[in-house]
Amino acid sequence: MASENKKTYKIPIGPVHVGLKEPITAWLDLDGESITNATIRPGAIHRGIEFMARDRNPIQVISLSERICGICSFSHVVCFVRAVENVADMPVPARAQYIRAIVLELERIHSHVLWAGVACYTIGFDSAFHLGMLLREKVMDILEAFTGNRVNYGMGTIGGVRWDVTPAVNQALRDMIQYYRDEFDAFYDVVTEDPIAKARMRDVGVLSREDAISYCALGPTARASGIRCDLRWSAPYEAYGDMDIKPIVPQDYYGEVHGDVFDRFLVRVLEVYQSLDIIEACLDGLPEGPIMTEPKIPKLLGQLKKADGMGWGAIEAPRGDDTHVLKLTAGDENVTWWKVRAPTYSNAVSWPIMFKNNELADAPLIINSVDPCISCMERMLITDKGQDTGKVVTKSELLERCRDKTRRLMQG
Amino acid sequence: MPCRKEYVKESKDPQEVLDCLQEKFDKDLAVEIFREQKAGVENKTQFIELWLKITRERFIELVDELFEFDFLHFHITSGNDDGDVVTLYYHFSLFRVADRGKRLGLTIGVAVPKDDLVMPSLFDRIPGIEYSEREIREMLGVDFDGLPNKALIFLPDDWDQTIKPWRRDETGPGPDVVRELS
Repeated sequence: MASENKKTYKIPIGPVHVGLKEPITAWLDLDGESITNATIRPGAIHRGIEFMARDRNPIQVISLSERICGICSFSHVVCFVRAVENVADMPVPARAQYIRAIVLELERIHSHVLWAGVACYTIGFDSAFHLGMLLREKVMDILEAFTGNRVNYGMGTIGGVRWDVTPAVNQALRDMIQYYRDEFDAFYDVVTEDPIAKARMRDVGVLSREDAISYCALGPTARASGIRCDLRWSAPYEAYGDMDIKPIVPQDYYGEVHGDVFDRFLVRVLEVYQSLDIIEACLDGLPEGPIMTEPKIPKLLGQLKKADGMGWGAIEAPRGDDTHVLKLTAGDENVTWWKVRAPTYSNAVSWPIMFKNNELADAPLIINSVDPCISCMERMLITDKGQDTGKVVTKSELLERCRDKTRRLMQG
Repeated sequence: MPCRKEYVKESKDPQEVLDCLQEKFDKDLAVEIFREQKAGVENKTQFIELWLKITRERFIELVDELFEFDFLHFHITSGNDDGDVVTLYYHFSLFRVADRGKRLGLTIGVAVPKDDLVMPSLFDRIPGIEYSEREIREMLGVDFDGLPNKALIFLPDDWDQTIKPWRRDETGPGPDVVRELS
């Protein structure tokens, strides 16, 4: 480290835009309570993962990719290994494809349940928040029973998966499906029946269809704006190749699209039910056979060393499509270069549009509605144009404002 | 340049798209990869992925030609320092909402010579590309002509901008600034 130049000390190389729980800065311009403009400044949590990958072989990079995100860790792994399998032209056994789809859907359930709970917390609906936390435990328990871990599952490998569905796991998964079908209705009721929750979310943080298209919004954020897009349907991969998955869009259920926080809530809640159906279909149709193409790691590495070319993995992660691109060079055992694009990278571009003409009290809800990190609130700088002073509002103050608005609504 | 802000419902066959482009761009367009993505128990082809390479001079022309097919959904720009040139790969989707298995994954590679590291910006056509162009600008040092906001996006504000983190030449991070990456 060059001591005379302190600036080079902090060297975050490579943009690793992790999906959830990341620090990101939103600069809001306010006119009174109304947000007139917003500027997003990411970049606080870059760890140089893509740079680190240059010194690692593909098997080692699996562990790196798994640690990009805490919730959709397996999505990143699948995305990465698919890109490698593309380059190496390596087949994946059918059983492994089904197991990948099961874990991907478990992850989606985890992400959406957690999100629904946190969204309720943001508007001060604490009983629903605690219910969400309770419901979330089940899927984490199942992931632990299945893979041995609750967050980074260590499940994926190049050319397959590392753990099989045993009869006990199969039964546990089926019990979980029944559990959620019985218990998850509470969130569906929040969407459809609670007037206060609806009042807080309807027509807040609107992203029009046209803006969602031109700003390249992804996943539930895009679908809530009425765009019928889902990579599981438009570009089927793994077990989705044997299934007909319909993208969930609000117009199919309510006959209209608002593109607001309510629609985003609706899409996610309905997707939980869809994921349960997919897991059930995967278990019913689970093919027999091996779960890995090449179980011997040194032999696998030998094959990968011969691979040459570029691969692109794009899958539908819980927050939208996740994209990994990489290059392998024949004769070089390490990854030549690797680019990761988590879904929030794209969805964050549309934040300024969602913020426009909304109240400050709705800001936490809007930020949360694309399912990023709530801790970003601590880094928000608010400048009040009327008073012409820059005043920093802390996370707790902002949350209190958001909850106050719910109280005002409840008092009528 | 007005571009349609809507997706088409009718997709075209990938080979038809490719033939149409090859006819128009001839030698300036090279096909790097035409990949059939397979999945499922029967391992059937599910969708197509296409990697093209175009000269920088005709890049915008190609993009506008692609807009004739559908709104070009942008994923990300990747890139690498390849010695005399910086190669950028733009990853797009065509026919994103057309029908099951109809999405065409489309990558366009462009070699940008190091003595003139400038690309035309696609910001006026695809506003969602902003972060990616700013990222490539700070990481690989390729400037974008027409990009309104050229502020740093992922690097800290006090970053020494003569260092381009993804470059492999003298402008890249030297061993003295990289620590404990193992």
